[in-house]
Amino acid sequence: MRALRLTIGAAGVAAMALGAVLLTNPQVGKALDVLWWLIGAVLLHDGVLVPATLAAGALLPPRLRRATRGALITAACLTAVALPTLLRQGHRANTSVLPLDYGRNLVIALGTVAVLAVAWHAGRRVIPRARRRCGRRRSIGRPGSSR
Amino acid sequence: MDLSRPPRLPQLPRPPLPVFKGRLHDPRTATVIGRLLGAAILTAFVTGLISHYLQQPPGWAANLLPSRPSWGYRLTQGLHVASGIAAIPLLFAKLWTVYPRLFEWPPVRSVAHALERLSIGVLVGSVLLQLLTGLLNTLQWYPWPWNFRPAHWALAWVAVGALLVHIAVKAPQIAAHWQRPALDADGPDRRSFVAAVSAAVGAVTLTTVGQSFTPLKDFDLFAPRHPDHGPQGLPVNRTAAAAGITSERLTRWRLRVDGPRPYELTLDELRAMRQHSVMLPIACVEGWSKNAHWTGVRITDLLDRAGAPPGARLRVTSMQRHGAYAVMDMGTSYARDPLTLLALSLNGQTLALDHGFPARVIAPNRPGVLQTKWVERLEVL
Repeated sequence: MRALRLTIGAAGVAAMALGAVLLTNPQVGKALDVLWWLIGAVLLHDGVLVPATLAAGALLPPRLRRATRGALITAACLTAVALPTLLRQGHRANTSVLPLDYGRNLVIALGTVAVLAVAWHAGRRVIPRARRRCGRRRSIGRPGSSR
Repeated sequence: MDLSRPPRLPQLPRPPLPVFKGRLHDPRTATVIGRLLGAAILTAFVTGLISHYLQQPPGWAANLLPSRPSWGYRLTQGLHVASGIAAIPLLFAKLWTVYPRLFEWPPVRSVAHALERLSIGVLVGSVLLQLLTGLLNTLQWYPWPWNFRPAHWALAWVAVGALLVHIAVKAPQIAAHWQRPALDADGPDRRSFVAAVSAAVGAVTLTTVGQSFTPLKDFDLFAPRHPDHGPQGLPVNRTAAAAGITSERLTRWRLRVDGPRPYELTLDELRAMRQHSVMLPIACVEGWSKNAHWTGVRITDLLDRAGAPPGARLRVTSMQRHGAYAVMDMGTSYARDPLTLLALSLNGQTLALDHGFPARVIAPNRPGVLQTKWVERLEVL
């Protein structure tokens, strides 16, 4: 185990060193700017994106937080992936690049997430009740009741 | 130097750092999300290596690259972009899970600990930047001052190296939390979180993967390409206008083949040669791909007519004025493959100008940038 860890760690250090050497290739252009962008990416993520996410979670009432978590995570990730297409719609290189109406598509996607989330929670409330009425299993928990 | 027993640092009082009460910032959640993210990053890295070496083979390998399976590059590059997009929700989830570690106190316990934290910083920064620049590259958007391809290649090694260091450092914790604990009060909450992140991965994949996995093209909402949009139903990267192809230049067009027995052909003479039809995908480095029906003359027939020796490589020159791909070298394995054509028509119609009229190369298992358009010269090397 120890030998394996050392081998993996050494391979990692070697790969990082190779990457650093490759970054100094004159073809890259401005290698120092890559470094600034690396630092900027960490600062922007840790200093803005995560605090904003945590704040959004903290502002939601705890019951709602759990019920909406899946929908909010999915909607946020869809928006993140769609955002560049929305920002670039005026700058396409030719008619086959960014050919879709991405604003409309984002509305469709977020609407679908909302509908599916509501349907999911409705299903989770209705199905156990229906089962109880049928006199079958009584022990199916409601969301959040298991702790 | 013995890193395990460094000089003791002075103990500082803990400043008012944030406190996290959420229970999913734990090693089990980090392990569950981390192994999914690791798999996505490793997939992107391996498929990226394949793409790099198919585009820029070392000299000794130029004639050995496999031309089969014909859909190979379509699969690997489709996976490259899809695994990168799938990694976006996983990366956000992983970093959210371990975020409290950013505020651990004291910030540095030893030299080894400082190096480990530095390597985490490199890992986070390089993976964030790889996913961001990779995603923007699929839109042909380059808002940074460096050259995308060599920097993406270099940072891939940095990121994967930092990931290996991270795995080596955390191996005991990963092993301890690999399996579900017997007593786990947070189990239901964690499973619902992992299910939410999985739903996000599924959603971003479903809404983008149709650009290369055409059965899902109807769900393609956010990919920068759609298989049905483009001249003759096929997307285009570089248009004739962008490549400086003018009708005036095309009227003088002849195909020149240089070799032991050089010759020139007009378009009518090319059309009079034996025509072959193949079904081959255009698979772009930017992730989109689509199968198409190509008809034209086999490259191997053109080489034989020029008296090329069996092992000869081929240099293809385009009429295009701008860009790095005006001259393309092709190894023997591609040049002698019966599927490799100098195509004159696409899906039963004469090639559109944007697809490389009068003649373009189409070869199996090759990146789209090497499927040279507006070919005017073949040269036996």
